[in-house]
Amino acid sequence: MLIGQLHYETTPKYSFLQSLRNLGISKRIVELSLNSMHTIKGKIFKVSNEELASFFIEHMDSEDQLPTKDGMLSALIMPLRAIRDGTSIIGIDVSSIKIGVTDVGVIYAVRGAIVLKTNNRYRYIRLGPLPFHITKENIHEVFGELSRDLSLRFNFLSYIDPQIQLCNILEKWLRAYVSHLARRSIILWDGSLTAGTPGNPVSDLSKMLRAARENSNVVMGISKETSLKFIRWGMTDLLNGYKPPYLFEIRSSSFSHTGSLRLLGRIYVAKLAKRGCAFRLDIDKAIPRDEGIVAVEKLIGNETLYQGYPETLRLAHIYSTFTASDVIGIQRLLIKKYGLKLVAHNNMHRTLFGPYGARLGD
Amino acid sequence: MRLFKKTGNTMHILCFPDEEVEKGEYLLIRDERARKSMIVQVIDIEFANVPGVMEEILRSSGIEEFVEGEDNDPLDVASHILYIQDARLLICKVHGTIVNGELIPESSWLPSRTHSTIRKIPTESLVKLANIEGSLPIMIGETRDSFPLAIDARQLDGRLNIITGKKGTGKSHLSKILALGLVDYGATVVILDLNGEYTNLGYSLDGSKNKYYDKIHVLSPGKTFKVTLYQTNLYVIMRTLVYALGLPGTSAREFRHIWKFLEKTGRLTLHNLGEAIQNWKCNQHVKDALYSRYSALVNSGFFTDNMAEATDFEKLLRRTERNGGGIIVIDLSDTSPSDRQMVVEYVLAKIQEILSQWKIRAVFLFAEEAHLYLKETYWDDIVTRMRHFGLFTTFITNQPNTIHENIYRQADNIFLLNFVNEHDLQIISRAARADAETITSIVRDLPPHHCLLLGKVVKDFPIIVKIKSLDVKTMGQTRFFFTEKERLVPDKITIHEGKDSNL
Repeated sequence: MLIGQLHYETTPKYSFLQSLRNLGISKRIVELSLNSMHTIKGKIFKVSNEELASFFIEHMDSEDQLPTKDGMLSALIMPLRAIRDGTSIIGIDVSSIKIGVTDVGVIYAVRGAIVLKTNNRYRYIRLGPLPFHITKENIHEVFGELSRDLSLRFNFLSYIDPQIQLCNILEKWLRAYVSHLARRSIILWDGSLTAGTPGNPVSDLSKMLRAARENSNVVMGISKETSLKFIRWGMTDLLNGYKPPYLFEIRSSSFSHTGSLRLLGRIYVAKLAKRGCAFRLDIDKAIPRDEGIVAVEKLIGNETLYQGYPETLRLAHIYSTFTASDVIGIQRLLIKKYGLKLVAHNNMHRTLFGPYGARLGD
Repeated sequence: MRLFKKTGNTMHILCFPDEEVEKGEYLLIRDERARKSMIVQVIDIEFANVPGVMEEILRSSGIEEFVEGEDNDPLDVASHILYIQDARLLICKVHGTIVNGELIPESSWLPSRTHSTIRKIPTESLVKLANIEGSLPIMIGETRDSFPLAIDARQLDGRLNIITGKKGTGKSHLSKILALGLVDYGATVVILDLNGEYTNLGYSLDGSKNKYYDKIHVLSPGKTFKVTLYQTNLYVIMRTLVYALGLPGTSAREFRHIWKFLEKTGRLTLHNLGEAIQNWKCNQHVKDALYSRYSALVNSGFFTDNMAEATDFEKLLRRTERNGGGIIVIDLSDTSPSDRQMVVEYVLAKIQEILSQWKIRAVFLFAEEAHLYLKETYWDDIVTRMRHFGLFTTFITNQPNTIHENIYRQADNIFLLNFVNEHDLQIISRAARADAETITSIVRDLPPHHCLLLGKVVKDFPIIVKIKSLDVKTMGQTRFFFTEKERLVPDKITIHEGKDSNL
């Protein structure tokens, strides 16, 4: 089913997960996954445990590097008070992992999770894991089909890791659906509201934000790590003296508008709980500033905050992230269902030099 | 199942959820290229250390209670993940190798991880392969794969056996099976019956006489079992006085003189012995010591001057053997602890005497809770010296710490019923016939009425067996204060009246 064929009629806020289900959201993407997998039958399947291990050690999100004028930011601090009004909170997150290598391509898996908090209850819907066999032959076709289905202008970029692009495309897809189906909710995205980066055109993001606004939703992007500095001070160090919860707005005048990069969100550093951490928080810029701040106050009032981080987003992250047993399970599925012949990935350093040539950690 | 790791004689095998394997079962690891097969026994089952399981559990724990939702998993990856997460690791002990259909005690080779196939070995095949049943089978019960397991009576011949397990697991029941099994092949069995549990072995459950009726001889010390001093030679009485009644060396010397004097003058009676001690010219302390022991002999009621009421134990043993075997039950249930020691000492000394003179070939002795009537110093004697005379002992106890470590080490066969106490398991694991890990791991989880057979009876292939029932009336049922209606109605089906048995 194409997203363009969907009727974007808004749904009652508490049944949007049901609507998500009813629309058969996964049908087309599953077809694409299955089609890509048909090319692997009987192939050699190499698995690198070292590569896999490195994924599980630490996988930090990269933050968009924002150019600032003279390395300085202009900021305004705003204390917050919690508003408990039953507003629904929705968190979206997507994860991807490299499962192994065939003699013609690479197998990745993606999984997305949407978590909704309403009436003090959490509900989730999880899509995947969906394996994709990406080869030189099908790479453009797969990404082209996916973006066409999403009515997004997504072009495969050869200089960006296909894994990241696959992850982005599913994430956009889920974000777009939620923006259209949810109503009067706070929608939390993992990351910023910055557009114009490769594979992330301004038009796509604007379209999603507009759809969300039309349904009276407020979209916020939360970045777990921030490198923003204020007069060469780290933001989190600078804010130590203030009593949370508060928002620390970074004026847009602080950022230089160079190249294609566009900030579609108003940027804040937010410390939402006493014992919590400070995060970068982007709020849809098209929403009046006061409304945005009230939305954050509603977030504090209606959401559980773990270390100052919204629980819905934390749960979405937990539900989407791959564990080692997930990967082994997927590998088993591939071997069973597609008859892949499993071979251990050779470590060339070890093969040639034995214990003398291995790098630390090899 | 896939071979994972071998360390020493321990093999680790990966087993998946659709493969049913239980502790105690035997597996055959067949390496076609090496043309050899390794026999291993599963002694423990653990979860396989699958990476990420901890994260998975942590992810779901706590969350599940307040989060509900659903997975849209079109490829059903979840089932594969769960399959992996439920993988088990079988800890196995190597028990030998089959080469050209022949079983050899080799475990030094390594089967291929990639080419080996692993399958369960039915007990029937194992029994045939190891020739466990032999030519004189005694049916013990059923294995988990419903194979009726019999052991070879020859493997009890000349052996030291231990039956142990916690209270109520069926030790006495098993010892009855063994004793009657030996009788079936003409053996002479003496049972030191502490609780009077074996006195009705000659009767079926319905109270009628069974095929063993004429072969069961119950002797109750002081009642149906009395002896004269003439039947008790000096060697036997000295052992009784020294070991059972703790007579000191000097006094023992004087007693010897008195005994020889009475014997020489043809006046060896209980009455004359008392008079002689009183009139004997010796140190007063010695005289007192002798007289107190004499009083103990008299008060026991075990000794008599009346030839008509005396039992000729030697004759009974010889007749039993001549008549094709039987069981002599020494019912110690109504005997005081000190008299018990005296009687047992007499019986053992007499058996030893008869055996040493080759008047009978061998005696199978079943000793229940032997620590209650045998001095510690005597145990080694029974196990080592008397064994060579033809006294083959089976110790039965629910207190494994009452049996010396060296007895465990020398035991040829051990019949283990359930134990959960770590201390008890440690003691039992000193047995030389099996490795400590096998014992502690399997015995802890033995279901009721199941026994782990170790040693020569199973050719050192530990086997779990559910002990069979027995159509024999038993005694010694625990007396209860609180009675229930159903307890008052005789159970027509159950045969489990034994103190220690619910079988």
